[in-house]
Amino acid sequence: MKALSLSADALRIVAAYGAAVLLFVIGAWVHPGFGSFNSITSILLIASFVGLVAAGQCFVVLIGGIDLSVPWVVNAAAILLVTSSLGQDARAPYAIAVTLGMGALAGLANAIGIVWFGVPAVVMTLAMNGIIEGLALGLSGGMTCAACASYAPPVIAAAVHDVWLGIPAALWLWLVVIAVVSFVLSLTRFGRATYAIGNNGRAAYLAGVNVNRTTILLYALSGMFSALAGILLVGFGGQASLGMGAPYLFQSIAAVVIGGVSILGGRGNYLGAAAGAVSLTTLVSVLLALNMPDYGRSIIYGVVILALLLLYGREQRE
Amino acid sequence: MSSAAAEPDKASPAIAASSVSKAFGGVQALHAASFAAQAGEVHALVGENGAGKSTLIKVLGGRIAPDSGGVALDGRPVRFASPADAARSGIGTVFQELTLLPWLTVAENLLIGHEPRRFGLVRRAALAPQAEQVLAGLGIHHIDPRALAADVSLAERQIIEIARVITRHPRVLLLDEPTSSLVEREVEWLFARIRDLRAKGTAVVFTSHRWNEITSIADRITIFRNGAEVGTFTGIDEDEAITLMTGQRVETMYPPVPPVPAGAEPALELVEGSVNGTAQLAFTLSAGEILGIGGLAGQGHRELFSGLFGAPPLPRGRIKVDGKQVHIRRPSDAIHASLGIALVPEDRKSEGLLLPLPVRDNLTLPILSSLSRFGVIRGAVERRMCRDMIARLAIRTPNAAQPVGALSGGNQQKVLVGRWLLAESRVLLLYDVTRGVDVATKHEIYELMLRLAGEGRAILFYSSDTEELAHLCHRVLVLRGGRIAAELAAPALNAEAIVTASVREAHAA
Amino acid sequence: MPREATSPGQAAPRRSAMVHIIGQNVGVILAAIVLLVSIAAFCGMFLLQQDRLPGNFEVTSTVNNTMPLALAAIGQTVVVLTRGIDLSVGGVIDLTNALAAIWLTGSTLHMLGVSLLIVLIGAAAGLLNGLVVGLGRLQPIVVTLATLSIFQGLAIRVLPQPGGEVPPSYTDFLVSTNGPTALLFLLAAAIGWMVLRRSRLGVNIFAIGNDEQSAIALGVNAMRTKILAYMLGGALYAIAGLFLAANATAGDATTGDGYTLTSIVAVVLGGVNLFGGRGSAVGAICGAFITTMIVNILFFAHINPLYQSFYEGLFLVIAVVLGALIGRLVRGSR
Repeated sequence: MKALSLSADALRIVAAYGAAVLLFVIGAWVHPGFGSFNSITSILLIASFVGLVAAGQCFVVLIGGIDLSVPWVVNAAAILLVTSSLGQDARAPYAIAVTLGMGALAGLANAIGIVWFGVPAVVMTLAMNGIIEGLALGLSGGMTCAACASYAPPVIAAAVHDVWLGIPAALWLWLVVIAVVSFVLSLTRFGRATYAIGNNGRAAYLAGVNVNRTTILLYALSGMFSALAGILLVGFGGQASLGMGAPYLFQSIAAVVIGGVSILGGRGNYLGAAAGAVSLTTLVSVLLALNMPDYGRSIIYGVVILALLLLYGREQRE
Repeated sequence: MSSAAAEPDKASPAIAASSVSKAFGGVQALHAASFAAQAGEVHALVGENGAGKSTLIKVLGGRIAPDSGGVALDGRPVRFASPADAARSGIGTVFQELTLLPWLTVAENLLIGHEPRRFGLVRRAALAPQAEQVLAGLGIHHIDPRALAADVSLAERQIIEIARVITRHPRVLLLDEPTSSLVEREVEWLFARIRDLRAKGTAVVFTSHRWNEITSIADRITIFRNGAEVGTFTGIDEDEAITLMTGQRVETMYPPVPPVPAGAEPALELVEGSVNGTAQLAFTLSAGEILGIGGLAGQGHRELFSGLFGAPPLPRGRIKVDGKQVHIRRPSDAIHASLGIALVPEDRKSEGLLLPLPVRDNLTLPILSSLSRFGVIRGAVERRMCRDMIARLAIRTPNAAQPVGALSGGNQQKVLVGRWLLAESRVLLLYDVTRGVDVATKHEIYELMLRLAGEGRAILFYSSDTEELAHLCHRVLVLRGGRIAAELAAPALNAEAIVTASVREAHAA
Repeated sequence: MPREATSPGQAAPRRSAMVHIIGQNVGVILAAIVLLVSIAAFCGMFLLQQDRLPGNFEVTSTVNNTMPLALAAIGQTVVVLTRGIDLSVGGVIDLTNALAAIWLTGSTLHMLGVSLLIVLIGAAAGLLNGLVVGLGRLQPIVVTLATLSIFQGLAIRVLPQPGGEVPPSYTDFLVSTNGPTALLFLLAAAIGWMVLRRSRLGVNIFAIGNDEQSAIALGVNAMRTKILAYMLGGALYAIAGLFLAANATAGDATTGDGYTLTSIVAVVLGGVNLFGGRGSAVGAICGAFITTMIVNILFFAHINPLYQSFYEGLFLVIAVVLGALIGRLVRGSR
């Protein structure tokens, strides 16, 4: 009896990367210059932001959960970063620590509601999104506070824009994240526990896995990755803006699912989610290159996601 | 009673299967099996776990389609798309997996699809009264039709499911292990209903493990082994039946049990324990001993086993491992207690194994902390340990990366046992480990149990099969109402004594 | 009668029918109680500030503003009952809102026809969702995520800039400013819900939400039931879009976006179980009004509007936790 399910998973990841490559080819064919090195790296840079949020989403989706607090953790992280650093390099380490800490705290709060109070993940993270939105807007006076207009510290902007060996630094960072997250999920105790819980929480518990502790860690990580994405975004764009986190919610979920991670948990890995992020970003870029109007982009985006899902995102039924 | 082969059928049987084969994954559940039941007869299907009885019922009842062969109703070949489809042709089936909808009331469940209606809409106010009438007509007065199905006991759910099927006046009634959760009085009720149906010409087919039930009501008995029928009889001696069911003489089925070495240390003790808050439970399990827990379903066994493992913990009681008191609040406490306690649960598919994950992951999950350095798993060590365990238990799998769900039931069970051997647990809580396992693997498990006991491990063993308890255990404690009703040891230890101790006072309950 | 029917058990004292009904409808009952409390709190605050109780104007505008959410919540309830979820709510409302703004002109008959057509378009959107979920066997959350995009795109195509116009007569009919006549439509929706619940489709929806495999074994056509459930949802979102257009008297292709998540909040506050099989649309309607009441209360309590989301989120968590606790207590006493 062949180990079918393993190769099916690998097949999905290959397909996700294949879709990305195919999209690049289409883009290059339609719009010469699209396939240039610079063009590819800038698309990948955009994809890295989605990819980072997708890392956090991947962690919680693997145990059958979801994180709907992404939009405002990202946005609040951006605001927090600029207001704590005030554009100064000297304050950057402090600002980064505080911001990542905020993300972890948000995730922790999510997990407490889910684990101890039994609130469904959809509801808890949705509520947390609102709570963070209220706090962020309230404390910053609707982003009108004096510090809110600060720019991100140069060192962070550099961390995003600097180019090493032709590749933006933020992209190198994402590659490191891909390597580390994949390593953690496949080769560590924590990773095994995650997959065990995602497959069957009760059986995992009966095998001695500390389900609660693992769940809390996973949601904290999700919050941290959203915060990290917020930091890099504000480094990329310079300033924090209202609503900057909104697109990343649905994009991170779509990236994760296209990448072969089952929304029910227990199956898939981050390599696939990263592929999904690249595919999605490439798709949007191709549509932009085709000068497709707003509405067309939306429609085709949805249709392509459906098509990809139908092709290889199916939940197998016995 | 002497055995007598049945007369060949003269009229068309009410329902028949001819040369039906069915395989699941790599396992052949039915092997060109044939079966026939006449109208107006009660026909029992007996056989070991894994012999194919349930699969046959599922084929006859329309739940699964056979790979080859067919089903005939009154001599006409039929093919069903679903149990509901079969129901429309007059076949009513109560499968082992109940199809009650938990968040609907008993009345809604009972009348689903046949609700009282006006202008096409269900008259909700009439549901409970009509359900009450239906239940009363069947002699059931103790179930509240307004209660949610989820809030009603397992036995009551089984009765409701049976009632729902019977009330449709089926021409063929198929029952798969209908008495597994019922006590004597409920079984009597069911048999009275079956007799009523038989008098009306219904063909009743049922599977059971309980020999006394079979002999009291069945007109004919068909014995199954390894996916095919072995013979059909109007009367047969129990020992001969067992021989036909297992393919072995009763005497050679169980390996001989060596005595517990003198001066064995107590491995696990329970003092002032309780599973239901009222009674006192206490026992001592010594190293090298196999202590059996017997009794009817629902008398506290599951709570006892789960409680000793901390999932969830016992409401009351002090547990001592290796003579020292331990606090077991969660499974990891039990696993990491000095001697290591392991639980092999009843439902290996939903509580024990992680089916889509590889054999390797399933084997090493509890011991990952000792296999890891700074959280990273030492792959080579893990691979070696898995290889050794697979060889030691003769687990049939191509490699350790195979998802455990692809293995046969018996090999899955071995993986589960292997997990705890890797964890070097010295106290093993085995809960109905031979359920749904084929005969050959059962043997291996018996021999394994004895070998483990011989190595000095302590085994607490629950089985729904009283023969197993009688033949494999040094002592058996019979639970009734959460108390130890009797303690049986050689020479008083036999299946009959266990059954007697289980049911005495059942009427007073 | 030759043989006496043996009874399998002794009759135990029965709980009264009322106790059962309460125990099994804790969600709706709690939602209704919270709604009444929030209305009382609002009235109290209003009284303190304006020296009078809320009058016709306040009641009417509250009802009119809540209509779209209440209708969307009913649609979401039907989908959630099948153990699904519908994220395309916002997209359908965008689309129908946009279509309403440009198509609603001319005679009453024409507008009636257009309204019907728009509802059918909503049902068609639901059909797409249902087909992909049912036939394609994909998880509802990701399917409706993709279709959300599609419907949003279509909406922008129809109405690239906010505009269009809804005739006053149409507005008056649906969301009259003279009085809370819109409540009549809600009443009709509630009656519709009671009809659905007693219909074969309704029984099937609850069945597959409880346990799909068992429902199939009992003869329920799961695929058809799911498709119909999503279609019904789509039709209701379309009606919500019509009410939104009538209330705003103009169209905007993005104004419906927020309804996706707020419809889920309303459904949860209404005691509908997100895992399927349990809940009532009446509860969802209460949940929608609770949401509006919270906003009103925050306004009258002079809470800094920037902090509004904070209190809404906090309220949601507390409501769910308390609701679960109370539900456990009520059922635990068995």
